[in-house]
Amino acid sequence: MSNLITIFITMALLNNFILVKFLGLCPFFGVSKKLSNAVSMGAAVTFVMVIASIATWIITQYILIPFNVVYMSTVIFILVIASLVQIIEMFIMRTNYALYSAFGIYLALITTNCAVLGITLWNITEEYNLLQSIFAALGGGVGFTLVLAIMSGIRERLELSDSPKSMKGLPIAFLVAMLLGLAFSGFGGII
Amino acid sequence: MNIVVILVLTAIGIACGAIIYLAYVKIPHKVKGLEKIEEISNALPGMNCGACGYAGCFAYAQELAKNSDLITQTPCAVAMQDPEAVSCLEKALNISLDTSALCKKALIHCGGNSEVLYNYDGIQSCKAAARLGSGYKKCPYACLGFGDCVAACPQGGISIDKEGGIAVIEQGLCTGCGLCAAECPQGLIELVPAGTKVAFRCNYQPLRDIPGREKCEYGCIHCRKCFNACKYEAITWNKEKAIPEFDIEKCTLCGKCIEACPQHTLAFFTPVRTEAEPALSQ
Repeated sequence: MSNLITIFITMALLNNFILVKFLGLCPFFGVSKKLSNAVSMGAAVTFVMVIASIATWIITQYILIPFNVVYMSTVIFILVIASLVQIIEMFIMRTNYALYSAFGIYLALITTNCAVLGITLWNITEEYNLLQSIFAALGGGVGFTLVLAIMSGIRERLELSDSPKSMKGLPIAFLVAMLLGLAFSGFGGII
Repeated sequence: MNIVVILVLTAIGIACGAIIYLAYVKIPHKVKGLEKIEEISNALPGMNCGACGYAGCFAYAQELAKNSDLITQTPCAVAMQDPEAVSCLEKALNISLDTSALCKKALIHCGGNSEVLYNYDGIQSCKAAARLGSGYKKCPYACLGFGDCVAACPQGGISIDKEGGIAVIEQGLCTGCGLCAAECPQGLIELVPAGTKVAFRCNYQPLRDIPGREKCEYGCIHCRKCFNACKYEAITWNKEKAIPEFDIEKCTLCGKCIEACPQHTLAFFTPVRTEAEPALSQ
């Protein structure tokens, strides 16, 4: 159990997808203007990460390793994740429309999100078992949501702040991202 | 070894495709009204051009499902071009549509040929050129030919005619979305009913107090010859603007007005081409 918690915290803070591994940067700047959007996006990413981790773990164990084609995992995982997200989206749309509108467009956007592909490949390189993969994905998703929420909170205030004209919008957001990255590097030694 | 990789990849690909297909067919529709939205959305073009004013085709379909009158208020110009899509929409919305009024095509109200007033060497864009004294051509309403509309057309249906120096719309590709009309700084592009037969290729109006003949040898000089030439009363004379207006229903495509026009302002709108029609490149 302590092992699982370690994996969770490592993925959420130490190996944070956005600020340490630099994966999923498009939503980091694209969807971090409003707190509500950022949380929706984060929830969708966490959800897809967990589902994708389970699916790719099964495929790795029962198809890739027996046939000795693990080196093709990137291509296969892209395919699997894309179809998986399509099916999930269709399922949610037809069974629970309120949830579908809450996820909004983000679920479809995640099909090509590199953070989701990143977690599945990370699970292989670290040779996690199924439970560990799920916790790693949960941690990654929570870390992603956390950074997106922090960033959107800051950017909502930045909109009102009196920054130089040439720095308004994305430039100041990049600077803030740098400071956030420095802050997160402080987690480096805790485990 | 390599064969195994190919087989595994192919198998996974086919399996993914099959599962998505099965999911599409088998997952039950538990949400009310969603089947209708999907039916409408399948009839729409799916190119998400946004010309209807909604975020995309699916958003438009959602609104249509709530209020079917919307199809006549802000019709999807692209779907109206396609008889199959129209019949699907009619079935889904349970109404009948009069496409001849709803279906639009873009028409450029300029035949080119205006003389050049000064050499323009600035930014190669109509919007920039139009700011310098209404453009570099003698006629201040002329097509400037830098192709702002070409860039706006999602269908690639507009090209710049090299000889005439004006934009030409390929009517077969035009879906009537109206994105080009919004781009033209001269306001030359109008969305006209798709059944339009005669194109009036001039935007000059006497109220603006600029004599047509001096500025452009193909501009309308308001002589009324077309009005007098028409035997079928398809042309009415708009006294305020001093230009002819055409009645699609009455026009028989005889081409007499086009022959009569001393300035070659008039031309056949759709591909019917005869000797009487001056080529656009003249």
